[in-house]
Amino acid sequence: MGIDIKADGTALLRLLQLTSPALPVGAFAYSQGLEYAVHARWVHDEVTAQEWICSLMREAVARLDVPLLARLYHAWENDDEEALHYWSAYLHASREARELQEEDMHLGSALARLLRDLALPRALPWVTHPHTAYPVLFALAAVEWRIALPEAAHGYLWAWCEAQVAAAIKLVPLGQTAGQRILSRVVIEIPAAVEEALVLSDDEIAYVAPRLAIGSALHENQYSRLFRS
Amino acid sequence: MSHTLIDERDSGWRANLNLVIERRAARAVITHRSHCGPLRVQRPFYPEGDELCHVYMLHPPGGVVGGDELLIELEMKAGASALFTTPAAGKFYRSGGPGARQTQNLRVAANAVLEWLPQETIIYDGARAELGTRVELAHGARFIGWEILCLGRPGSGEVFRHGGVRQRLELWREGRPLYIERARYEENSAVLTASWGLAGCSVSGTLLCVADAGEYIDQLRETVLPAAGLFSVTQLDGVIVCRYLGDHAEEARWCFETAWSVLRPAYLQRPVCTPRIWAT
Repeated sequence: MGIDIKADGTALLRLLQLTSPALPVGAFAYSQGLEYAVHARWVHDEVTAQEWICSLMREAVARLDVPLLARLYHAWENDDEEALHYWSAYLHASREARELQEEDMHLGSALARLLRDLALPRALPWVTHPHTAYPVLFALAAVEWRIALPEAAHGYLWAWCEAQVAAAIKLVPLGQTAGQRILSRVVIEIPAAVEEALVLSDDEIAYVAPRLAIGSALHENQYSRLFRS
Repeated sequence: MSHTLIDERDSGWRANLNLVIERRAARAVITHRSHCGPLRVQRPFYPEGDELCHVYMLHPPGGVVGGDELLIELEMKAGASALFTTPAAGKFYRSGGPGARQTQNLRVAANAVLEWLPQETIIYDGARAELGTRVELAHGARFIGWEILCLGRPGSGEVFRHGGVRQRLELWREGRPLYIERARYEENSAVLTASWGLAGCSVSGTLLCVADAGEYIDQLRETVLPAAGLFSVTQLDGVIVCRYLGDHAEEARWCFETAWSVLRPAYLQRPVCTPRIWAT
């Protein structure tokens, strides 16, 4: 790990662009089940929010999204259409509740439209693809913008955690400083999570989050909601 | 190295069960049955008439131990209908050495219907097990099935602290993944206690029903209300998924049987016909 700014000044900036909360894909509208977790009081303060976010990042996102991001990254590098479709379908079939499946599709198509408009023509077929998973387009942007895979994986996890912390600040609620404390913890944990994620074999890609899956399904009927997942 | 994994596995059961079910003159018939080792099926019952057979699968008496390998291959030919269940829970015992493996490959051809409704699988503390179920559906094939997993035996106060389970539940339609669940429960792994994971619960289960329209979701939500555990319903792309999380295998079974009593008339156009064995 280590971006050599002199060698390619744009890769780092492109990674910041791709992982910025200002990226216009609408990620702010989703809580990935956190809204129900707060409603059910599974998450109710800074400690439980940090536990939820950090351990889900490590045990779930880093064991499914990141190894698939790696496979998609290589598929884009090799122009391997079949692998792109296979892993995209695999991710779609791995999302455990309707809102999580829809979130992935909405963000994926939004990023496909954005990348198309930023003159990346390979994004075009994914604008209308029936199950565009977000990591498919994230991987495309990383490849096109020459962001190395480990850096892209760090950025992916960072952006996921940052969105979760933003949701936690609104929902729990937490103060801004508490949010930054959680992110400081995330910073410590992401490198090891990426290292493990990138060496997983296909057989080792395994992740299950039973109560999150149930909470996300129950969120569909939650009476009062701020978020779409 | 004096022992390889294979050598140690040789000491366990290697049990296979191969079944083919066909529709012959409007009757669902087992046209091929072969088994080796202690895995078998009883003579099918026809409580709902000729068209659909009820099949009881018998696991090795006394449970599964380290080194055992069970392989179930089921093929439902075009237009055939069958309901499978088990008369007792599957049990995986503590193993000091090698793991046990159970693989179930279920193929459902065009317009065939499979209901796969086994009792729970109990993983004793200290067991190492690999459980895989893969369902392959052809165009127009229909499927309702569930899996219930108990880690430890909460009834006897036994908590699952040692060992590990890998579980795969996969639904494929015409070569594309429709539903993929791959769990890894290892001793000390965060998922056992995490608030997003099992949260300390010992019983978890998934029911899958291949269906596109979600019009029965609300009815399921209103009908299945467990007293203690959590139950949820969601409509994914092409499949309805119900889940249970709690501490009672009986409650999980009740949830799924009740959900099945809503889903069966809705998607298989059949009134509920409870397998006799469930009543005993």
